[in-house]
Amino acid sequence: MTAQTAPVTRPIPAPPSSPAPRRRRRKPNVFRSLSRVLIVLIVVVQVYPLAWLFLTSLRNEHDFATGDPFALPSSISFDNYVRAFQTGNLGQNILNSFIVTMGANLLIVLLGMMAAYALQVLGFRFSKFVRGLFLIGIIVPVQIALVPLFIDYSSVNLLDTYQSMIIPLAGFALPMSIYLFSSFFEYIPRETYEAASLDGAGPYRIFGLITLPLSTNTVVTVVLVNSIFIWNDFIFANTFVLSEGLKTIPLGLQNYIGAMGKVDWTATFAAVCITITPLLLVFLVLNKAMIQGLESGATKG
Amino acid sequence: MLPNRSRLSVLVFLLPPLLLYGVAVLFPILQSLFLSFFSWNGISDMEFVGFANYVRMLTGDSVFWHSFINALGYLSICLVLQLGGALFVASLLTSLRRGAGIIKTLYLLPAVISTVAIAFLFVRIYSIDPVGLLNQVLGWIGLGGLERPWLSDVNTVLTAVSAPEGWRFTGLYMLIIYAALLAVPQELEEAARLDGANQWQLFTKIRFPYIRPVWITTTIMATTYGLRGFDIPYLMTNGGPGQSSELLTTYMYKTAFTSTDFGYASTISVFIVIECLVAVGLILLMLKRKADA
Repeated sequence: MTAQTAPVTRPIPAPPSSPAPRRRRRKPNVFRSLSRVLIVLIVVVQVYPLAWLFLTSLRNEHDFATGDPFALPSSISFDNYVRAFQTGNLGQNILNSFIVTMGANLLIVLLGMMAAYALQVLGFRFSKFVRGLFLIGIIVPVQIALVPLFIDYSSVNLLDTYQSMIIPLAGFALPMSIYLFSSFFEYIPRETYEAASLDGAGPYRIFGLITLPLSTNTVVTVVLVNSIFIWNDFIFANTFVLSEGLKTIPLGLQNYIGAMGKVDWTATFAAVCITITPLLLVFLVLNKAMIQGLESGATKG
Repeated sequence: MLPNRSRLSVLVFLLPPLLLYGVAVLFPILQSLFLSFFSWNGISDMEFVGFANYVRMLTGDSVFWHSFINALGYLSICLVLQLGGALFVASLLTSLRRGAGIIKTLYLLPAVISTVAIAFLFVRIYSIDPVGLLNQVLGWIGLGGLERPWLSDVNTVLTAVSAPEGWRFTGLYMLIIYAALLAVPQELEEAARLDGANQWQLFTKIRFPYIRPVWITTTIMATTYGLRGFDIPYLMTNGGPGQSSELLTTYMYKTAFTSTDFGYASTISVFIVIECLVAVGLILLMLKRKADA
């Protein structure tokens, strides 16, 4: 206050100094509120289709056919969910997706950790070459493997099994997992290993007693990031699986498209809601860890 | 290197992962290369045809070139939506003091949903009879003249099919770019501001050069993902109407599993691999050059 009253007695420097800070303050405010409005708009566009999906699954058919898409349902009905369970094989589909996701994740984590241990901790002469080999899997599109694997599977009777989906899903995810584990292993101090070696621990005990227990966080990251892609995999399941009993969620959802494209939309949307719920719950509960994983996966690459 | 490691222990740790990777990735690549020189329908004997498949693909197959051009169109729409959108939203988010966490989560939601569900959702959004969300909104804001069956109109189908793929992953790239933007040192930005830099200069001169390495990674990710795009076009239109939304990947898939022409399908997939490698090479060349200059 005293500082502000002081310039009044000396009128000359006061006018230029008082509007200047005000203008400087107002300008970022306009920018900030504009960007806030934009962000809200973009988020609405981004999320609205999903909200609409959920609302539709609660509408009755008449309401859906005639009503406007922005209104709340006139009455909430769970009929669609009942029909969704009657039409398809949702329980079986979810179980299958669960088995495939678990199986593939197990391979990805265990083998990824082992390869990273060999490359980063043990080290050997051709490690650069092996790293290069694994890099190929990140760049190359998965479609290249479809025809060869289809032929190979049919010659060893692996078509239409859980393994037929798990093998390529794990194989193509392996490079990223190795990469994440390697960059984590870099942070484990050399001295830890040296001390353990002096105490007589061999490479297997060091892996089991030091590397493995320290990697829990990276394991969570790898599992979360891969689960999104494996849970939703369509192309491998669609190519290698034929029997109803083995269909995963993405294939099961296709059953809702009836003959001649006649679709029971409200029931279909209810089924979609059911199938995305498990992953969505995991995502919402663990989204900090998942977001961190996705960020680190790319920024370090 | 661990002091008392043995050659055996390296093999014990390395062989199982290499085995899986070899079976699932490396061997199929070689096998595709091998099959691309044969004519084979899966049942009769394989017949060696030399480069005939390649000649047919490059000179005699108009569908192939059509799909190639469509794939490039699909890729560019995805890139604009994903990278452009991601960079834009990430920059906006940095000006927020609170609430960035929840926006990141909301923005990432579509990435968690399966492509089949997304395809269903967008088929319904684009439909004209019964009127879908998009046409309804157009009608309301006075652009009723633009209403159309987006997926059966030859002129709009490629865009209509690419947009969901772009929409799905903007959140992912936004997340990565946002994390990179937050890492730009505050002192640098402050110094530039004191020197009178405006928002645009701040972005082009300070922030963007700083995040360039991350930008290269995200561009490569988005490009390779865009080139392998398959699920959504396959499920929504199956390449139709005609070939107007056919991509190389869907064309390859149909050649292999509808026409059971395994040899020719392998030739197309070899082309897709080369296309991906060339794209990554070009990105590195262009973006690295600029960084050096």
